[in-house]
Formats: sequence, C-alpha cells, structure tokens
Amino acid sequence: MTSKIINMAERMKDAEDLKLEALFSEKPIADDGFSGSVVSRVRRQVWVRRLSLPVAIAIGSLIGAKPLLDVVMALPQILSIIPVDMFGVDKLPIDALPQGSTLMLGAALIMAVTFASRLLEE
Amino acid sequence: MAQQDANAFGELVRRHQSQVRGFLRKLTRDVTLADDLAQDAFLHAWNKLDTFTGRGSFIGWLLKVAYTTFLQSRRKSNRYGEVLDEMKQVADDHTVQESAEVSDLDKFLAVLTEEERAVMILSYACGLSHREIGETAKLPIGTVKSIIFRGKEKIRESFDIKDHQYG
Repeated sequence: MTSKIINMAERMKDAEDLKLEALFSEKPIADDGFSGSVVSRVRRQVWVRRLSLPVAIAIGSLIGAKPLLDVVMALPQILSIIPVDMFGVDKLPIDALPQGSTLMLGAALIMAVTFASRLLEE
Repeated sequence: MAQQDANAFGELVRRHQSQVRGFLRKLTRDVTLADDLAQDAFLHAWNKLDTFTGRGSFIGWLLKVAYTTFLQSRRKSNRYGEVLDEMKQVADDHTVQESAEVSDLDKFLAVLTEEERAVMILSYACGLSHREIGETAKLPIGTVKSIIFRGKEKIRESFDIKDHQYG
C-alpha cells in the first residue's frame, strides 16, 4: 500500500518534469547490426568456453605424456629394488601395468568424455 | 542449448539496445565510446544473467550493468577524460556562443556532475522510478530525490530559467 502511494506520488509530474522529459527524449536508435555483433561476440565466447577445457586437457596430455612414459618405463627398475617376497609372489606383474599406447588412448577417451559431458550439460 | 540461449539473448538485445545505447550516449556524449561500452555491457549482462532475480524490471537491471560498465571503463580509459574535458568546454562556452552542433541537452548535461547526469538521464530519459534509479546507481532513494532536485536547480540557475521554461 505504502509503495503504491509512493509510486503514485512519483508519477505526479509537474510541468517542469514534463519539459525535462521532452528535452531528454530522443528518437529510438536504429539497430544497424548492433545486436548481431553482440550476439556474434556472445557465440564466440560460448565456443571459447566450450573448447577451453578439452584444449587444456589436450595440451596437458601432450606435455605430460613424455614424463609419464618415462616413469612407466622406469617402473621395472624401481620395482626391482623392492624385495620380491614383500608382495608374496614370485614374479611381479610388470606386463599388467598400462603401456604407452594404452595411456594415450585413455587420455583421448577422457578428453572425449569431458567434451561430450559438457555438450550434454549445455 | 547455448546456441538457443544466445538467440534468445539476441532478441533481448534487439529489444533493449536503443535504451541502453541512448543512456550511454547521453552519459558519455560520444557515440563510438557509448556503443563500445554498450557492447561490453551486453556481454557482461550475458555472463551475469543468472544474477537477474526477476524482482525488478529487466531494463532496470540492464541499465545497472551498463552504468557499472561505464564506471569501470572510466577508471581504466583516458578516452572518457577527453570526453569530459569536451563537456566542460561546452559548459564554459554556453553563455558566450551558441553553436548549432551543441544541443540544449548537451548544455544542460554539461553543468551537472557525473552522478547528477546519470540520475537525471535514468529518471527523465529512461523513465526509471526513484527506487529503480537507487538500485541502478547504488544510492538510497532519499539521495536520488535530492540529486534530482539539485540537478533541476542547477539547470535553472545555469541557464537563468524562470517558470520552468526550457528549450
């Protein structure tokens, strides 16, 4: 009720208000491609955001692939230091450890799943 | 989905671009600067769409984003300083010479401070209520009313206007 009274009081304009309104009023501004340019900027931003995570993962995978492969290759030597009877088996399952190609495939799969889940989310 | 949202947002831009660009043009008195700011403001609005609660009008919220964008750009850019200098020049010259290129509105706006200008434009050009202006300019309603009163006084005094005769 109080807000309605305030709004009514605001709407009661005197001659000076009406003249100021007339002074401030201008013809509507033509679009002239303005909204199209805003929408294209918005679309560009959407695509940049959509691609940023997969691209970051791809770059990270490329950078991290070599050191990761080195670690995997060094694993037999590292494991050979550990006493064999510690695991209670005669032979360590080195062959069962993921190989280079498997790791690359895994990384690609993670990227694809991330990209697909983002698309689904949107 | 995002593509559809962008299309829907494009419709909102088409509907409100005139008011937002008009507000910024009056505020900066520079068409190019104002249109650049309006583009940035719409992009900010797109990124902050989830903060619009729907409590007030959408145009009120958009103008708030536009005003914030304007204030942020003013802090960063020198271009606004140049425009402000030009406006001061207009204010200094208005009693000496009548230039055809300088409109009555330019002269009136030039005698106001930046805050007064924003509030007067939001009130008389954009037609926002005092409450909406308060939310847009982050000012209490009482301050909005006193700024409008002071703005009108300044315009009357600066142009020696009696009996509310403008133009």
